[in-house]
Amino acid sequence: MSPSPEIESPSAEEPPRPLPGPERSNPFTEYGLVLGVVAFITVAGWFVPASHYPLGFVYLLAVVGLSIRVGKGPVFFAAVASALAWNFVFMPPRLAFSALQIDTAIMLATYFLVALIAGQLTARLRAQERFERLREQRARTLLQLSRALDSAGGEDDAAHAALLQASRAFPGDAALYLFDDDGRLGAARNGRLALEPAACRALEEARASSFAATAAIHGTALLVIEPIPGEPPIGVLAIQRPERGRQPVDRALLHSFAAEIAAALNRRRARAAKEREKLLLESDRLHRTLLDSVSHELKTPLSVLRTAVEKLQRTDDARRRGDLVSEIHTATQRLHRLVGNLLNQTRLEAGAIKPQLDWCDVRDVISVARRELAEPLAPHPLALKIPEEMPLLFADAGLMEHVVGNLLLNAAVHTPAGTPIELTAGKTGDGRRVYLRVSDRGPGISPEVQQSLFGKFQRGRAAVSGGLGLGLSIVHGFMLAQGGSVEAGNGDDGGAVFTVYLPHASPGSLPPE
Amino acid sequence: MNSGTVSSADILIIDDEAQIRRLLGLTLGDAGHRVREASTGEEGLARFWEKEPDVLILDLGLPDMSGLDVLKKIRDRSDAPVLVLSVFGQEGSKISALDCGADDYLTKPFGEGELLARLRALLRRKKPAAGGNTVRIGAVAVDLEGRSVTRDGKLVKLTSTEFDLLALLVANAGKAMLHRQILRELWGAKGEGQTHYLRTYMMRLRRKIELEPDSPKHLLTESGVGYRLVID
Repeated sequence: MSPSPEIESPSAEEPPRPLPGPERSNPFTEYGLVLGVVAFITVAGWFVPASHYPLGFVYLLAVVGLSIRVGKGPVFFAAVASALAWNFVFMPPRLAFSALQIDTAIMLATYFLVALIAGQLTARLRAQERFERLREQRARTLLQLSRALDSAGGEDDAAHAALLQASRAFPGDAALYLFDDDGRLGAARNGRLALEPAACRALEEARASSFAATAAIHGTALLVIEPIPGEPPIGVLAIQRPERGRQPVDRALLHSFAAEIAAALNRRRARAAKEREKLLLESDRLHRTLLDSVSHELKTPLSVLRTAVEKLQRTDDARRRGDLVSEIHTATQRLHRLVGNLLNQTRLEAGAIKPQLDWCDVRDVISVARRELAEPLAPHPLALKIPEEMPLLFADAGLMEHVVGNLLLNAAVHTPAGTPIELTAGKTGDGRRVYLRVSDRGPGISPEVQQSLFGKFQRGRAAVSGGLGLGLSIVHGFMLAQGGSVEAGNGDDGGAVFTVYLPHASPGSLPPE
Repeated sequence: MNSGTVSSADILIIDDEAQIRRLLGLTLGDAGHRVREASTGEEGLARFWEKEPDVLILDLGLPDMSGLDVLKKIRDRSDAPVLVLSVFGQEGSKISALDCGADDYLTKPFGEGELLARLRALLRRKKPAAGGNTVRIGAVAVDLEGRSVTRDGKLVKLTSTEFDLLALLVANAGKAMLHRQILRELWGAKGEGQTHYLRTYMMRLRRKIELEPDSPKHLLTESGVGYRLVID
């Protein structure tokens, strides 16, 4: 074979050639069948006491019948054989050829006409039937291909699926090469058929010169995968060229096959691009939400601070001054928490949370969290229920303080003043996890917020003071980072119940005193 | 060198934020201290060597060099008390500062009361231990010499390790103690990293010392760092 590939242009695409299908039987057996049938009629007719006329119709019937089973040639042969046998055996004088009279001549002419027409009709019928079968086979192959491509995961998966289908549909090995962003043919995807570098370069050049090549021959049958019209091909499907004398490759099927792969890959790429775009939009939206709520949440305490300070400058009344100072204090606490949560969320998103797991006492965690939240927790009586034999947690104390703090603050801002908050801790029934549970007596969690509860910027509508809606998202992120989990639900008395779980581990025993 | 009275100490502030320096100056001035300021590490070191202050307040984030480097340079030649200022979320830097010889830390934003209490504790420890060997922690009296603890006159039974832990915290009262430091003091090198020893003994000690062990007033947890005994 020549080292440079011949590249066919799309116009060179051939019409589908009907395959010499396996249903086509050997012509010799067809002639045999014809002889057998004519001989049978002749022998059987010998014993039938009838004149030669009706037997002529029987011969005619046989020719018509045979035309359904055999090709054009054998049918013509059947007509000739029938005419000869009829004339020689039955036409008086029997067992001798007789001169044709006008009526028998018409009869014989009819034989040949019928044979010709029937043969033609059957041949056409057969061709059509074969074509239908081929079309069905192509459709099935393409359907299987598109199914395989659809169910494939990534691009590599799709390439693999395409090759698998190609090996079923075409004889010999196949390979799939895709052009990269620079128009180079990358490494073969999974195929066992290797293209020579020269062939690759030729294909790359063909593509670069915006030549919409669809097929190239290079010892192997090659096919450039066709993209959406007007765009350059995205790759090459290479099919082993069958050996001489073997059944040729169905070119039409190969083209459709390649087009299907190209379409699937293009769809996949378009979808990926769209998803990237959606992700960008989503992150853009989150950014806007973040900016909106951050600026709102920052402005509120800042405006309180400003007003309070201005009033402080103008008033001498000691009690008024005390009130203003406590307002300033509350506003600074709120700012402090806000900045803390923003920082935590940023760390979570940047993947900067690297938990330092160590033994810690759940009481420590709780007391630190309570100290930080003294003010917002003041209106709620807090009940601690921690069993004496509560095991140590294997967790990051700092993260756990934020988890407990956020859960307590969440309970405090979503429930009316005066309602109690309960903090319980313990081991789960199976002893494999330890839990920490914050229950309140507020309105509970409505089904519509349950879904998005742990998402970013999800603010409960009943929240007394705004907040960024980051608290529970941070709880979720921090628990996951420590190998734990968080669950939310409603208690028997209607309030919200948040439970965080950590794997239960046992520290070594203490040294003797 | 100042006589070391709590009422009037010489305090050097190294912080690049002018507003923080101004506020600290006001607060400390009102409390009767004399305040010197520096806005960079270099300037701070120069001021420090001009005259060693009674307490150095050092911000960890400086424009020209890291606060830790300033601390190391000072610790090479002086053991003047150093109070480190860190920003929320920098647990790691607090621990390294304490490891490098800082005496205590405060996390910005902090309150005036907290700042003054820390300073008092640092200045008090500069003074030689005053006579009595009995320290009062709320309703509890700790006799360091007799190794006994009483609450309202009644004896509280402590194991020897529990007492050692309490005595260590009393000796460093007001100061944040790293887990590592406490573990090393009580159990030696092999105790380091065995945080659960400390957690368990602290839990037991709180049950004996604190009125409400679940919300302690004296044996406080320093988030991510260690423990601090607050006496007053």
